[in-house]
Amino acid sequence: KDLRGWNIHVEDYPVSHGMEAFLAEVTEKTDGAIKGKVFHGGVLGSQPDAIEQVRLGAIDFGVFSLGPMGQVVPEANVVSLPFIFKSVPDMYRLMDGEAGAALSAGLEAKGIKALGYYDAGARSFYNSIKPINTPADVEGMKVRVMNNDLFVGMIESMGGNATPMAFAEVFQSLKTGVVDGAENNPPSYESTNHFEVAKYYSLSQHLIIPECLCMSKRTWDSLTPEQQAIVAEAGKNSTDLQRKLWQEREAASMKVVMDGGVQVNEIADKSAFQDAMKPVYDQFLNASPELADLVALFQAN
Amino acid sequence: MSTERQDARRHPIILLQDALSNLCVFVCSIMLVVLIATFGWLVFGRYVLNVTPTWVEQLALLLICYITLLGAGVGIHENSHLGVTMFRDAMPQPVQKVVLLLSDIILAAFGAVMFVASIELFNFGWSTLLPMLNIPESFRTLSSVMCGGLLFFFCGLRAALRFSDMFRSTSFIQDLEEAI
Amino acid sequence: MGLTILLGVFFACVFFGIPVAFAMGLAALSAFWYEGFPLLITFQRTISGISVFSLLAIPFFVFAGELMLHGGIAVRLVRFASTLVGHVRGGLASVNIFSSMLFGGISGSAIADISALGSLLIPVMKERGYRPDYAVNVTVTSSIAGIVIPPSHNMIIFAIAAGGGISISKLFLAGVIPGILMCTCLAVAAYVLARRHGYPAEPFPGLKAVAISAAAALPGLVTAVIIVGGVLSGVFTVTESGAFGAIYALLLTAFVYRTLDWKAFVTAVTSAVRTTAMVMILIGFASSFAYLLALYQVPEILGNTLLGISDNPIIILLMINIILLMLGMIMDMAALLLICTPIFLPIAKSIGMDPTQFGIMMLINLGLGLCTPPVGTCLFVGCAVGKIKIEQSLKTIWPFYLALLLALILVTYVPAFSLWLPSLVG
Ligand code: NA
Ligand code: NA
Repeated sequence: KDLRGWNIHVEDYPVSHGMEAFLAEVTEKTDGAIKGKVFHGGVLGSQPDAIEQVRLGAIDFGVFSLGPMGQVVPEANVVSLPFIFKSVPDMYRLMDGEAGAALSAGLEAKGIKALGYYDAGARSFYNSIKPINTPADVEGMKVRVMNNDLFVGMIESMGGNATPMAFAEVFQSLKTGVVDGAENNPPSYESTNHFEVAKYYSLSQHLIIPECLCMSKRTWDSLTPEQQAIVAEAGKNSTDLQRKLWQEREAASMKVVMDGGVQVNEIADKSAFQDAMKPVYDQFLNASPELADLVALFQAN
Repeated sequence: MSTERQDARRHPIILLQDALSNLCVFVCSIMLVVLIATFGWLVFGRYVLNVTPTWVEQLALLLICYITLLGAGVGIHENSHLGVTMFRDAMPQPVQKVVLLLSDIILAAFGAVMFVASIELFNFGWSTLLPMLNIPESFRTLSSVMCGGLLFFFCGLRAALRFSDMFRSTSFIQDLEEAI
Repeated sequence: MGLTILLGVFFACVFFGIPVAFAMGLAALSAFWYEGFPLLITFQRTISGISVFSLLAIPFFVFAGELMLHGGIAVRLVRFASTLVGHVRGGLASVNIFSSMLFGGISGSAIADISALGSLLIPVMKERGYRPDYAVNVTVTSSIAGIVIPPSHNMIIFAIAAGGGISISKLFLAGVIPGILMCTCLAVAAYVLARRHGYPAEPFPGLKAVAISAAAALPGLVTAVIIVGGVLSGVFTVTESGAFGAIYALLLTAFVYRTLDWKAFVTAVTSAVRTTAMVMILIGFASSFAYLLALYQVPEILGNTLLGISDNPIIILLMINIILLMLGMIMDMAALLLICTPIFLPIAKSIGMDPTQFGIMMLINLGLGLCTPPVGTCLFVGCAVGKIKIEQSLKTIWPFYLALLLALILVTYVPAFSLWLPSLVG
């Protein structure tokens, strides 16, 4: 069996190494009965398209951010709620436990089999004006966010001007002031060179959105039970590997941006931000009351 | 070849196709004007009101699909798409007629597949929401369904007309045999 | 086998005259079917190839160009050009080239360029005793410079095909000097030929006339300033700049020049719709096609082959240029930009070429293809406007090809032509 794997990242990235390790382990343990190729760099399409192709069985496996996944699987939106995880270790624990399993069930209902949750770090605010220490600092700032009501709501509830914008346009826009700031994890902040034009990085860690190593349900169902066990095991192992690689990469990126003269500030007390998110949560639960239990499950632990 | 087209032009079926094609151009034109107006509003919102209307971008992406796919159907009807006709033009007249007929049949078949496959895509996308607009993705796929339908309608009927023209003139087969 | 089907179906369809866009769609559909993909993937790729945010600039640029054409801006630009450069020998050729620089600079569409300037200038040139083929050749080749002079929607297509890592404003800046270089090379060729044929110079109308025509043309030129300036200053994104350019051109022609009546407006909108659809459907089906090229790893294979022949950057760039020129003869610009950029850009990068410079090189190269047979949209439009046969034009067009080739070589091997201006702005 020849598997096609989709990956948005370049070949040398923690996610990419994780996927290659996954595929290598599966090939080895099935004695070559299952092999394949990972297509890096998004050559097989953007993430929303690739998710659709996984559901249709055109792509066999891939690593997807749970952010855009929310357009397909409503349950995935829960991890896009600001401050739903207190920290990255907290995310590991929850995603590997009962809460993660509930989310996986939602994915499976849409034809996507989750094999493990990769680390995509914590997203923090950066801008070209000043360090952000309180929600009030965001007031009036034009902040680029990803295309999602939750993120727009997040900025708006702090009084900022949320500007959804294609990722490719962000660098130029930051440089010329079309937007004042954006938000992302350290490796992206570094590799996109955004740190050269937005010198204040404030560790708000408002969004910790894991990525999911997924297999098409159609592909999964075509495997024998032994092969499924091998795939599941390889998924777990690659998750451990990717998380370790991610931590290393994140530390390296932080060093690069700090050497590049970025002013990084910790936010000692995030409770003011968390309080400011109340309307976002309210609006979310109003719009999808059926997810209240899942949100509670994530918050209880 | 031009006389053949002019004869075909008078056919009531062609007139019906003209009407449909013009309707598409009319709809697309309105969409283009809306597209430009909403972008004006976007910039006004960002700079003057300091509240960026977040739906503009996604609405624009929806509109451009319709402009493109309906417009592509019109282009097929009006024969205005870019193509390489020099090889075909170099063929003997009767062979050209057969090639034109086959092209239309192939394009009609392509349109039929596009129509059916896009309906599948339409059904599949019903539960996926377009970001910011929060309407099903199927509203975007619909443009592709329409394009497939237009292709099938325009090329299928044109093929049928060509076919009947061809065999109305009894000498055609003879001409073709001679040409080959 | 799958790749054979993909390419085989494509070339067979093109050979029998099926439009290139649909040939790509049919080829992709066949290959997906062969590979056992669900067929609807073809159309999913098409739709998502169309709904790309940066591509929205295309309808705006095209509409702005149409408004200039039908709303009286083009006429004023030509009038300005003729008062300014009409008095050199073969003056109308210089007028033609200079107008292309101004007008093409705004519309970004070579075809709009030719139908606008060609229909104004070719009849006048013929009347003054210029040979029709000379008039057509000058018009056709000079319009290619408009592709490189910003703003240009083909630059946006290139940036998208390159995967988003390339800044549009850098591309805009990078195109200015190569555009002027192309016009200069063409003007020299036109001048030499004009001397040989003994073509006349127009009388110089005096500085006052220049000033008057400049004042009339200036508001039209502002359309370009809005688009380019909006992008460079960062007040607008590229897409918004395009929209603002179009809105400005609309207000200017309707209320200031008062040359745009309802009928002209309808013509402008409907032809903008037709052109947009034609370009965008090509992009849509090309993205299904490109998906399969990626699946069959064509870029890697071709890259390794090229690098296997030679590792000398000069030779590699020469080979890339020759391949592109040959492809440009048989295919149109937008499709080739989309298909060839992912294939050749990594090779160019690996030998140390700046992606922006590579983009300008590609635009000039494929632009040349627009005025060569068998598929040469600009040549066809030019010959149709000038009412001559294509063969007639081809007999005498070679000095202009040489001029463009010279510009291509300079831009390929001298990075400063494209990179100096962007480096100033930083
Ligand atoms: Na241009
Ligand atoms: Na050509």
